[in-house]
Amino acid sequence: MNPAVPTWAGVAASAALVALTVTVAWRGRLRLARDIALAAVRAALQLAAVGALLLLVFRHAGLAGATGWLAVMVLIAGQVAARRTRALPRALPTATVAITLGTAATMGTLLALAVIATQARVVIPVGGMVVSGAMQATALALTRLHDEVRTARPAIEARLSLGLAATDAFAPHQRTIVRTALIPALDSTKTVGVISLPGAMTGLILAGVGPFTAIRYQIVVMYMLLAAAALAALTAVRLAERALFDDAHRLRPFEGAEGARATPDSRG
Amino acid sequence: MVLNGEVSPVETSAFALERVTVRRGDTTLLEEITCSIPAAACTALVGPSGAGKTTFLRLLNRLEEPTAGTVAFQDRALADWNVLALRRHVTLVGQQPVLLTDSVLDDLRVGRPDLGRPEAAVLLDRVHLPTTYLDRATTNLSGGEAQRVCLARALAVTPKALLLDEPTSALDAVGTAAVEDVAHDLVADGLTVVLVSHNIAQARRRSDHVLVLDRGHLVDQGEAHHVDYLREHA
Repeated sequence: MNPAVPTWAGVAASAALVALTVTVAWRGRLRLARDIALAAVRAALQLAAVGALLLLVFRHAGLAGATGWLAVMVLIAGQVAARRTRALPRALPTATVAITLGTAATMGTLLALAVIATQARVVIPVGGMVVSGAMQATALALTRLHDEVRTARPAIEARLSLGLAATDAFAPHQRTIVRTALIPALDSTKTVGVISLPGAMTGLILAGVGPFTAIRYQIVVMYMLLAAAALAALTAVRLAERALFDDAHRLRPFEGAEGARATPDSRG
Repeated sequence: MVLNGEVSPVETSAFALERVTVRRGDTTLLEEITCSIPAAACTALVGPSGAGKTTFLRLLNRLEEPTAGTVAFQDRALADWNVLALRRHVTLVGQQPVLLTDSVLDDLRVGRPDLGRPEAAVLLDRVHLPTTYLDRATTNLSGGEAQRVCLARALAVTPKALLLDEPTSALDAVGTAAVEDVAHDLVADGLTVVLVSHNIAQARRRSDHVLVLDRGHLVDQGEAHHVDYLREHA
């Protein structure tokens, strides 16, 4: 056994930290002691269940099982990404398709170029990171789009009133939205290793892999997260744009955007 | 009368509405409106808040769609027009001046990317702004100046009708007078202007024809000096 990986006894001992946190919360009358204890137990049970499932998939289901696993992750990620923007027309299918496309294109490229192995034990954790990155970018894109359409309705309608097609009237806003959605992925790519050691690299180093081998993986991870975020955000905004306008190049009214017609000066 | 394929604006109405109703959910915004709007004249849409004036105006360039009835422009149902071409013929300027770019010249080019400087200068002249404003930052304009840039931007696409949704409500007296003068000159040049106004004095002063709306119904219409609503609310 790798001495860097905690034993079950070590895991049990680490529960002392939870006890310490509960004590601090109890003595500070934060009324969080129960929540902290429950969260800790829940995390352990959830991870144990995931571990058992992964063991089953790794041993018996192979690449098909890994693909199924990722499909479930994508469906859940779609729900999460669309949660704050339910008022947008077709928010859930938009988010789900965007994350699916971002994940499929990124994972397809990594597998086709043989950058990663076609084994379930590789595809699932790497795919999980890709889905997560695509979900974050999609959620940001849809939230920003929701706010943008709400506040910039006068500017969009001013362009439509000049005879611009919906795509052209929305283009300046689309650029702003996609740029905003990509900021977290871009910033973490720029500062990787400087501000914090990223997860994949940290995990490999903890598991006893040499730092120079670990960074190879991390470089691939950063590139794939950038691609997944960009593809997902762009797809989400393109699809949302179709749902926002009707065939007569009219911006559909939607809940939360009605009052925006009276919004003062809004520059696109 | 049709000359060279163009409908003579003097002898025909610009817009005709036939039993137009607009509903949104359970709310009726306009009900059974039948009227016409003369070409090459200024028509004021007046009435209390919530009467449906803005909805009426937005129907005319298909930013709004009737639930029932038909709207026609130049004797052709709006649904039969290419909507993008229609909006170049019938442009709308909103209540608040919305500037879309950083400089006045760029703003004038939003609907006409090929607009040359000399042509842009002529547009500024039409809205009574000095041509030196072409290079001005849009952030350095007063409310009245910004609204006139919006008018010039609308004129850049050479419309036949201009829809003005309370264009002076956010302006001071100087800005209001300037925008009114521009609208007056545009009508004199043969443009059809439809003006939503809360300002009865403005409607009396500047319009040729008046439509009075109240809670979604057309309650009066006619030449400005014959409409009771304007006299009663003066």
